[in-house]
Amino acid sequence: MTALLSQLGLGRQSLFGSLMLAALVVLIGLIVMAVAEKAQIRVANVFFVNLILVFGLQITMGNSNVANLGHITFTGVAAYVVGILVLPLAIKATGIPNAPFGLAEVLIHFVPAAMIAVVFSTALAFITGLVLTRQTGIAYTIATLALLVIVHTVLTNWVDLTRGPIAMYGIPIRANTVSLMLIAGACAIVARLFRDSRWGLQLRASGEDVLGAEASGVSVRTLRLVAWTLSGFVLSIGGVMYAYMVGTINPKSFYFDAVFLTLAMLILGGMRSVSGAVVGAVIVTLGTELMRWLEGAPVIFGGKMPQIFGLTGFFLGVVIVLFMALRPDGLVGDEELDEMARRLWRERRTKGAKEQAQESET
Amino acid sequence: MDYVIQQVLNAASIGGEYALLALGLAIVFSVMGLVNFAHGELITISGFTMYAIFIFAAPTSAWGLLPVGIIAAIAAAVVFERVAFRPVRNAPATTGLLTAFGLSIVVKNFFVSVVGATRPRAVPTPDWLSSHIEIGAVHIQTLQLLEAAVTAVALMALLALLRGTNIGLAMRAAAKDFNTVRLMGIRANQVVLAAFVISGLLAGLAAVFIMARRGAVDPFMGFTPVLKAFVAAVLGGFGSLGGAVVGGLALGAAEVLFQIILPESIAGYRDAFVFLFVGGVLILRPQGLFGRKHQFGDKEG
Amino acid sequence: MLVIDQLSVSYGAIKAVREVSLRVEKGEIVALLGPNGAGKTSLISAIIGLVPASGGRVVLDGVDITRRRTEDIVRLGATVTPEGRHIFADLSVGQNLRLGAATRRDRDGIAADTERMLAMFPILRERFASRAQTLSGGEQQQLAIARSMMSRPKLLMLDEPSLGLAPKLVEQIFGLITELRTQGLTLLVVEQNAYDALAMADRAYIMNSGRLQFSGRSEELLASDDLMELYLGTGTGVHAGAAS
Ligand SMILES: Nc1ncnc2c1ncn2[C@@H]1O[C@H](COP(=O)(O)OP(=O)(O)OP(=O)(O)O)[C@@H](O)[C@H]1O
Ligand SMILES: [Mg+2]
Repeated sequence: MTALLSQLGLGRQSLFGSLMLAALVVLIGLIVMAVAEKAQIRVANVFFVNLILVFGLQITMGNSNVANLGHITFTGVAAYVVGILVLPLAIKATGIPNAPFGLAEVLIHFVPAAMIAVVFSTALAFITGLVLTRQTGIAYTIATLALLVIVHTVLTNWVDLTRGPIAMYGIPIRANTVSLMLIAGACAIVARLFRDSRWGLQLRASGEDVLGAEASGVSVRTLRLVAWTLSGFVLSIGGVMYAYMVGTINPKSFYFDAVFLTLAMLILGGMRSVSGAVVGAVIVTLGTELMRWLEGAPVIFGGKMPQIFGLTGFFLGVVIVLFMALRPDGLVGDEELDEMARRLWRERRTKGAKEQAQESET
Repeated sequence: MDYVIQQVLNAASIGGEYALLALGLAIVFSVMGLVNFAHGELITISGFTMYAIFIFAAPTSAWGLLPVGIIAAIAAAVVFERVAFRPVRNAPATTGLLTAFGLSIVVKNFFVSVVGATRPRAVPTPDWLSSHIEIGAVHIQTLQLLEAAVTAVALMALLALLRGTNIGLAMRAAAKDFNTVRLMGIRANQVVLAAFVISGLLAGLAAVFIMARRGAVDPFMGFTPVLKAFVAAVLGGFGSLGGAVVGGLALGAAEVLFQIILPESIAGYRDAFVFLFVGGVLILRPQGLFGRKHQFGDKEG
Repeated sequence: MLVIDQLSVSYGAIKAVREVSLRVEKGEIVALLGPNGAGKTSLISAIIGLVPASGGRVVLDGVDITRRRTEDIVRLGATVTPEGRHIFADLSVGQNLRLGAATRRDRDGIAADTERMLAMFPILRERFASRAQTLSGGEQQQLAIARSMMSRPKLLMLDEPSLGLAPKLVEQIFGLITELRTQGLTLLVVEQNAYDALAMADRAYIMNSGRLQFSGRSEELLASDDLMELYLGTGTGVHAGAAS
């Protein structure tokens, strides 16, 4: 284990930091379970799914510092794959009787179904990544967007398989707060370890300067492909958990609202760190709930992704614009919380030591 | 034969619309390195302004709405620059891009909140825009003819501006080396303003055509055309003005082509096919048709 | 004409210019010398407003221009011919000159000045319609200087005008600088080419590691091997020049 970690360029601090972060995520879940009412539990469940998605997004965008607007693609694909595999046959008979590949007769246990969905969607990430990571800068961002649109087009038009724009309902609910918080915690570890690994480090060092990094001998393209695929993996897990949490999916859940919500979370917290993802997700979730409350809308979305429309969306947009102008590194910035704590601690100690030394001099 | 002419005109008018929008994106990008994701909102604002004038001023003819739409788009572009983009003018490209993305969300949701619904609202445009004319056996939509013609004229005017005026020359120079342009005593704000005015004007023209075609406004109307324009601009080579035009026309042609060759049953996938086709081109030429290879690094220095 | 008082420039943690004070009087040629990385370009960039000063003041003709925008400073009559030329590569030679005069409205005056520049740099006339990119390095330097002159500056700051030029061209450029002065221009010239620069300059300042190390009359420096040795060191091209 230690050998593997050092192979990846990971030290004790990374391991410790990632575990702390996971513990923080789990702690949030435990607090919610201890004090929350039913409606609030639903908000928390949505929060954990979003958190997983933000971790996924952080892996690409935070490390390569190029905007990715298509990440939700893999969430959608995984959610649909798992939905189709576990949908009870009776519902399939009315919903998607003409599903291709004999899928109308297929029913799989929810655990292997989840695995199949994640593997399928991650493989898709790898294949699309082969093409996407050839692009740099703006062309890359547009390509991620085009990917989102392509897959959305397929999800809405392949009526035989997905019911098209109509919601696919009846997916058995398999996720609860405990499983969601544990998986979100695990994803936190994945994202943090990747960030601190040799690859993550090199990727961040390359920044936008692909040419410079290529010249220094690192194949940025390979690094970005690794990040893209790993990100797809985490986002797929998020998709599966989403489907298992709400039981109803439609293509719109995996389109711009979701992209924008998770993007706002990441930007607000600070995309360069995984801690930022957590901070941003917490604040945006609290903020949107507050807005909803202020708007006087009862919490009736029953565990669905909240629709970001109207005033709430307006203010989230304002938050993005303001943060970009005033604090583009987000609330947390470049450092992880544990790194920050350690640095402050150290500075205090050296300062203390200096003062002592000065005192003894005089 | 008329069928061919018809389809060519089809491609030219759709492609022209994309070219107008892509060109606006390219000008702003080349001058200040900003990827303006809020470009589509210029169309939306233009549309809603026409709607507001139509409702509140109740003009007797729809004629007057056309300049209103164009002016609204220009004004919106100028306000965007002043309020949102100026603070991030010297920031990294990603910061500007995300600012624009946030701005686009702000504007969309402003209309959702203020207008109250996402349902489209009807706005009239002059009748002759949707009329047809017959040339020989060919049946041609006035709108399409006009769209192709206006695009051509706008491109020519832009070319003249870029070649023959100080501000045009300064914009071209600023695309490479903004500081040296300032050393000539040329005001950076004016160059940037000019870029936004032009992009607003082009978007306003496109908006009028889009309105004539749809006859209605909604808060999300700018999204699809500008997404296509982005794809067109990337296809041409992002930041290259010639590339934007060629990319726009090529995309229009590809759309019409796929419309023709795709069987009815999978016609809904047209955009997916078009994007895949563009993706294929970009695999062969990652820098786009007209882009130079390292253009992103150029401005950093 | 130009008074610089305790000017500092930093790039993050790097202090490129540290509290430099100097002045340039009307009609003077002043040389600013120093090794690579001394902070000469940073100083000039701060004067013209391309990088912000982190401390100190710049006064041009009695006007405090420390926090002014570059374009406004240029309109007040100062300009820089930047290091490495920075001609507008995609534009023609003529268009480059035209942008040089972008702040002026007097058509006839612009035409006359263009003519004057073309007379001074015949090669630019020959290549008037070519893209500036296609000019040779030396020709580009001529274009850069001519372009700066098109705004009719009172104060021209040249950042390493001789960089990468053949000795003959250097001589030509320096001759031109002397001639410009007779037309009433004030010049601040950054140079590595210390001997030649000193030969034409009235006074000189020497910078090192962001600090001003010496200021005085050119003859004083030239006359003293010790001073030359001390501030400009061996093997900086100075002595190579001296040996030839
Ligand atoms: N944009 C910048 N960012 C960070 N550091 C810079 C920047 N520009 C210059 N420096 C640093 O400031 C110092 C002074 O640089 P400057 O270009 O002013 O020197 P110079 O005297 O003009 O040198 P040369 O003779 O080589 O042109 C150098 O150490 C340089 O590395
Ligand atoms: Mg220099």
